[in-house]
Amino acid sequence: MTKKNIRKGALDIMFAEWLFFGLAGLSVLGAIGLILFRHPMNGAMSFVVTLISLAGLYALLSAKLLFAVQLIVYAGAIMSLIIFIIMFLNIQEHDLPDEEGKGLFLLGGAVVITPIALFLYKIVKSLPGSDTKIIGNGFGDVREVGLILFKNWLLPFEIVSILLLVALVGAVVLAGKKGVGK
Amino acid sequence: MTRDFLLLLPLGIVGAGAILLMLRSALGKLTLEAASLVSMCVFALAFIAQILSGTIGHVSPYGSVFNGMLMVTDFTRVAGLIILACGFFTSMSSQSYFKENGFATVEYYSLIAFAVSGMLLLTMSQELITAFISLEIMSLSIYILVGFNRTCVTCAEAVLKYLMLGAFTGAFFTMGTALIYGGLNSTKFSAISTAIAAHGFLHLPALVGGAFFIIVAFLFKVAAFPFHAWVVDVYDGASVPVTGFMATALKTAVFAIFANFLMLDPGLKSAWVNYLFYIAILTMFGGNLIAIGQNTLKRMLAASGIVHTGYLLIALVAVSADHFTGSVILYYLAAYAVSTLGIFAALSYLTGNGEMRSQFDDFKGLAKKRPYSAAAITVFLLSMAGIPPTAGFMGKLYIISSAIQAGQVTLAVLGIVSSILSMWYYLRLIINMYFHEPEETFETECSVFGPVCTLILAVAVFAISLYPVTI
Repeated sequence: MTKKNIRKGALDIMFAEWLFFGLAGLSVLGAIGLILFRHPMNGAMSFVVTLISLAGLYALLSAKLLFAVQLIVYAGAIMSLIIFIIMFLNIQEHDLPDEEGKGLFLLGGAVVITPIALFLYKIVKSLPGSDTKIIGNGFGDVREVGLILFKNWLLPFEIVSILLLVALVGAVVLAGKKGVGK
Repeated sequence: MTRDFLLLLPLGIVGAGAILLMLRSALGKLTLEAASLVSMCVFALAFIAQILSGTIGHVSPYGSVFNGMLMVTDFTRVAGLIILACGFFTSMSSQSYFKENGFATVEYYSLIAFAVSGMLLLTMSQELITAFISLEIMSLSIYILVGFNRTCVTCAEAVLKYLMLGAFTGAFFTMGTALIYGGLNSTKFSAISTAIAAHGFLHLPALVGGAFFIIVAFLFKVAAFPFHAWVVDVYDGASVPVTGFMATALKTAVFAIFANFLMLDPGLKSAWVNYLFYIAILTMFGGNLIAIGQNTLKRMLAASGIVHTGYLLIALVAVSADHFTGSVILYYLAAYAVSTLGIFAALSYLTGNGEMRSQFDDFKGLAKKRPYSAAAITVFLLSMAGIPPTAGFMGKLYIISSAIQAGQVTLAVLGIVSSILSMWYYLRLIINMYFHEPEETFETECSVFGPVCTLILAVAVFAISLYPVTI
């Protein structure tokens, strides 16, 4: 490897690291916005930021399929459904509840969460680190993910279908017309 | 291969039954009575299949196909039997309940079957993601069952609270799973126990954190002390048979996976024993304090469920991880399930339309009007309180003697104190039924199922007490 190539590799890694911190920061900011915004629409929009930056993090990990799925399913389909429902309800400023003492609740929550966060920080620091680089061999492709899903993770894959059925029945029961089927 | 099939047959029967009921409800050709009969048949068949599939030792059904993610042991089989019985008796008493309250549809029975299939999977799962999905199958079905009555405001409140807190639990569980995967590169129980055996539990920080979050999730689901606040409102808001089902089957399933997880390795258990010790004590006494203040029967039973969680935690602290059989835990779960289901079965035909009879005062003089029902309720309450010839007494006896064997004398003594305290609210209802004149009279017409269910369970309270258990 020539000297130039080594420097380029180091630059790539540094760039990937900066990208990681940028995306991680954005995702946290989006999540904070989701909690702090008063109007649900703004909350939903800032949640989109979180979902998209998570997709970026997946891409940094070379998880190509997961990156696409995250964008299409979460940031695309699910968020547009949520936003559609919020718009459908046409929420005005006077519909929003009075949020008295919100600051106090947030402060209390922060006090509770701080030790857990410190605990988590210690744990995450103990995990072995590795460089962000592109992994070849088709890692993260549809084919590879599919093989793993159907070979090693067959059982969870199958029982998710039961979970979806339950969700389906639940939607019919809780949101269907009242008094039908008696 | 046939053996693997037989081991998973109960799960298959319940799943197929659930899908069958779901399809029939979509076609709309099944009456409610028929649906409850179908679901009773499904549970009875699955129960028989579970008994006949007798195994000894640890078998991983379809181990190569499912990658060893399921494990059937005698412990999971008996837990499965308790869950299936809970499903059976819930379907039976629901039939009477919905004679009076007309909000049910056939989907109700289908959801109970779905919940039971999730619970069966939960008891058998040996891998965290499988466990999470099973936990969600179970919880999602129960959220829907709690909110089934859409005209009632307390139900809506209950389902919202339960859904929010359940989502928290799910998040904690996934977070724990992610940490364990990050540390060990695997989520399988076998990999966790080899890693602990190789390095020691406290030398794996990711595992410590992951196990912490997962144990918090389990404590949440069984309503142990710092996470018990939701349980009273949720149990109160749900309809009577659903409350009975939640209190028994759900607790059995979660305690089964909790025990399976905790007993993976003596190192894992010994690290948490001290915390579980305090949680058990606080759960028992906190539950007792809440129960003493309640005026409605359902809220009192919900709070007493917290106390019983405390006794079960004593059993978890006391059992040894080396030769884990879990017979004490299962015995207590069976005894508790029988008495709780029994009292909810009796309530399902006594409460009347819109659950009119709910306060303690409404039960005044019940012994004069309905002597047999009052006698049955007395049997169940005495069993919960732990009065000698009943199953509840034997369960407590086994738990306390195993605690003494394990050297946890403090826990044993506090367990006895707590069970004496609990007499206060159990006897209060008995006194109301027997030593007061009836104030208001209203009769409920009911089908034969509710009373028959109550009778069977009352007999079971004594039958189970005769069953010997080696600690």
